[in-house]
Amino acid sequence: MAWLLLPVVFKSFAKKGFYEFQAPVSLTSSYVRDLQDFWSARTKSKNELYEAGQSLARLNAGYQIAALENQTWQAEIARLENLLQLPSRPDYQYEIARVVERDFNAWWQRIIIRKGKDYGIPVGAPVVFVGGVVGRVSEVHAYTSVVDLISNNHLRLAVVIDGDNRPMSYRGGGSESFAQPVGLAEFIPTDIQIADTENRPVLITSGMGGVYPAGLKVGELRRLRQGAGGMFYDGEVELDARLASLTEVAVMIQIPPEPEQ
Amino acid sequence: MKAEEKMKYQGRLLLFYGLLVLMIGTLLVGVGYRQLFESDEFSERVKVQNHRRIVTPAPRGNIYDREGRLLVGNKPKFSAVVYLSDSGVRSAFRQEYRVLVRDYRARGESYQTGMLQKMARANVIQTYLDDVNRMLGLEETVNVEKVSAHLNYNPLLPFPIIDDLTREEFAVLLESLPVESPVQVYVSNQRNYPYEATASHTLGYVSSTILTPDAGLPGEDLTTFAEKGTFGRAGVEKQFDEILQGEMGTEIWVVDPYGFQVESKERRYPTKGRDIQLSLDIDIQRAAEQAFKYHDRETDTMMDHIGAAVMLDVNTLEVLAMVSKPDYDLNDTTPFISNETWKKMNENGGLQNRAIQGLYPPGSPFKLVTSTAALKANTAHAETMHFCPGHFRHKSGMIQYCAKRSGHKEEILWEGIRDSCNVYFFQTGLETGIDNLSREAIYMGLANKTGIDLPHETGRMIIPTRDWKRNRFKQGWYHGDTTNFSIGQGFIRVTPLQMATFAAGIARNQIVTKPSILRLSPQQAAERPPPKPTGLSTEQHSILVKGMIASAQLGSSRRIAVPGLSIAAKTGTAEVAKEGGKIELAWIVAFAPVQDPQVALAVIIEGQKLNADFFGGVWAAPIAKAMLETHVAKNPDLLEVRPTASVSLP
Repeated sequence: MAWLLLPVVFKSFAKKGFYEFQAPVSLTSSYVRDLQDFWSARTKSKNELYEAGQSLARLNAGYQIAALENQTWQAEIARLENLLQLPSRPDYQYEIARVVERDFNAWWQRIIIRKGKDYGIPVGAPVVFVGGVVGRVSEVHAYTSVVDLISNNHLRLAVVIDGDNRPMSYRGGGSESFAQPVGLAEFIPTDIQIADTENRPVLITSGMGGVYPAGLKVGELRRLRQGAGGMFYDGEVELDARLASLTEVAVMIQIPPEPEQ
Repeated sequence: MKAEEKMKYQGRLLLFYGLLVLMIGTLLVGVGYRQLFESDEFSERVKVQNHRRIVTPAPRGNIYDREGRLLVGNKPKFSAVVYLSDSGVRSAFRQEYRVLVRDYRARGESYQTGMLQKMARANVIQTYLDDVNRMLGLEETVNVEKVSAHLNYNPLLPFPIIDDLTREEFAVLLESLPVESPVQVYVSNQRNYPYEATASHTLGYVSSTILTPDAGLPGEDLTTFAEKGTFGRAGVEKQFDEILQGEMGTEIWVVDPYGFQVESKERRYPTKGRDIQLSLDIDIQRAAEQAFKYHDRETDTMMDHIGAAVMLDVNTLEVLAMVSKPDYDLNDTTPFISNETWKKMNENGGLQNRAIQGLYPPGSPFKLVTSTAALKANTAHAETMHFCPGHFRHKSGMIQYCAKRSGHKEEILWEGIRDSCNVYFFQTGLETGIDNLSREAIYMGLANKTGIDLPHETGRMIIPTRDWKRNRFKQGWYHGDTTNFSIGQGFIRVTPLQMATFAAGIARNQIVTKPSILRLSPQQAAERPPPKPTGLSTEQHSILVKGMIASAQLGSSRRIAVPGLSIAAKTGTAEVAKEGGKIELAWIVAFAPVQDPQVALAVIIEGQKLNADFFGGVWAAPIAKAMLETHVAKNPDLLEVRPTASVSLP
């Protein structure tokens, strides 16, 4: 009750202050974890390190080939865009950030990352990882940022089914205590079916909403039921299990287009 | 106090206590009675006072063609709406009202409370709209009166601020609007016609109007706010409206004293209507409609002929194609028919389904009825010969001409059909007599509706009889009337669907009625009304068919020829008076394959130029050919390498 009666300015300051004071603690523990990982790696034998190095080298070689292929495709896309006089899609700068804290309880569904204003992270920026969309930056502090996960029921985005172009709504479904977080999809056309568990429809970002670029994986539809209006299905979306063990994510910061001469 | 006085007061006190106990007892009994026996009634009263019901429409069922292709479906209509009952919105209304009052007072101006409330509400809605405008790059403004009317009459329904969002706009709002915002994306549905104007008359259209809640929906006694629903107004949409309509959805809300939602008590989702499958084959339908197009030299544009075409499955009498031109794009009728669209549809005659409402003299295809009547009346047989000098002179001196002015000379019955010789049938008709001719036409079902499962089939067809003419024109029947009637001219009027049904009857040598627009299961087909015999022997029937084959191979119907397909056909060119002159109507009826008839059809095209020739063989036959070609392309087993049905060249 006393908190409710306090002036807004004070509450706002207290809230911000809490994060700013809490941040060093979280950051320190994050660095300590990194140090622990480093020393645990130091305990590995030379053979283990040698094998790890070899597999890393193989992985690097694979990525180098993939990077070359990407360059070729990018050049091809640029050529076609030029040919068709299409506007170029906005470019993004990727800011890789370590995850400081994961808060997957039934209330929050968010993570805190180790970059904030110091790296120019903006509020609303999409956050991705190798498995697709992680969420969206909801708060930015001096050295940390809070990212609402895609399982957060305050997060909504426009998605399409891979291979289809009809936009539908995706919203985080939160999670029951001790249960896997899920997502909820709405406005799913009724011709969409889940044929079998092996080939479930994959939801990807539509790119039409202006926040997320197109083609990022969101999850897989695992259950459909009749929607409220009787015209669409509602669906339950299974999210990438790796979201629960994120250690690094990439914040996509849109590069503003160069002003025309 | 003395003892007597004390007693006196005590007595009064006791009386007072007694009265008090009686009064309290009465109250308690009353309360108890209401609690125990009338609580249900009072609960109901409270419910009626503070519960409201919202009724929402169900999406209509889909309509498919015989091969399961979607002809009519639903498409979502996305709108941005404001939920007026949201506590934030209501608080904003009050806040804005206070600001406006303060401003007016500060300026020392008088104001009307109602007007300020209207302004406050509109201002708040405009604020929300401005947010959406910013997100979508629009510059929409709020209509004050609309907001006010909505709040007065439909406070529980969301108020649309932007209608018909594009996919991109829908996506932008999804990602930009906070989940808990009172502004949300709302979805309703509207009819969608992927084939646009194709089969527009058969499919029909819907119109939207405020729903009348179904009986049996919960909360019948509550104040109800109903959304708009759609109802079939023409064609299949009207005929099968009950099937296509789903079950309405309903929500019951507890509302506050201002009428805004507080708590949802009950919700039943709408259930989509049942789908139906038509007998139409959209490929044949499209081929026919495409064949209706022609290049108009005067305007140098592609135009549509005016007319109709029907193709039936001979065995089940399912309608495979039903064309009526001019038509209209069904997508122009949804979500509502604008005045402009309605005017256009009305002015060009597009509202009339000519296949079942157009009444035309059948022209020469009617000679097959004359032949049947003559064969049954024994006034003609296979070898009955008449001489055609190119004209026929009545006893009165009146002369009627054959299409071939030089005459067909001597012809027997099948040759008369092949050459469509008017003189042959003038003589046959006169010998058979009007009574036999009329009786035969009526027996073949040409005087009655076919009973097809489509609305508004006309019942005004005319098979003239002596009595009919006497009643209608107060005149007797003349020989000239009989000769006209025997070639399908004069008073007779039939619909193209009747002629297609008649062609199917000739194909089967049975009188068949009641075509179906629905795809029939084998069981349903077996349960159809049994056909009647035509009364023609196989030999007599073969004379008609021979004449029709010859017409298709050598005569006026030869433009219908489809390589490898044996076809029996009969063209015609009828005339109707118009604007002091006449226009001609191009007809063709046909069936194929001859040995085992599968399809029968009728096509009519209305000539547009006064007193100009407009032959059935030239204009109607190519359309029939296009329909048959499409049917055969899908059923190549109907083709023969060497057609067995043919007639020898003369």
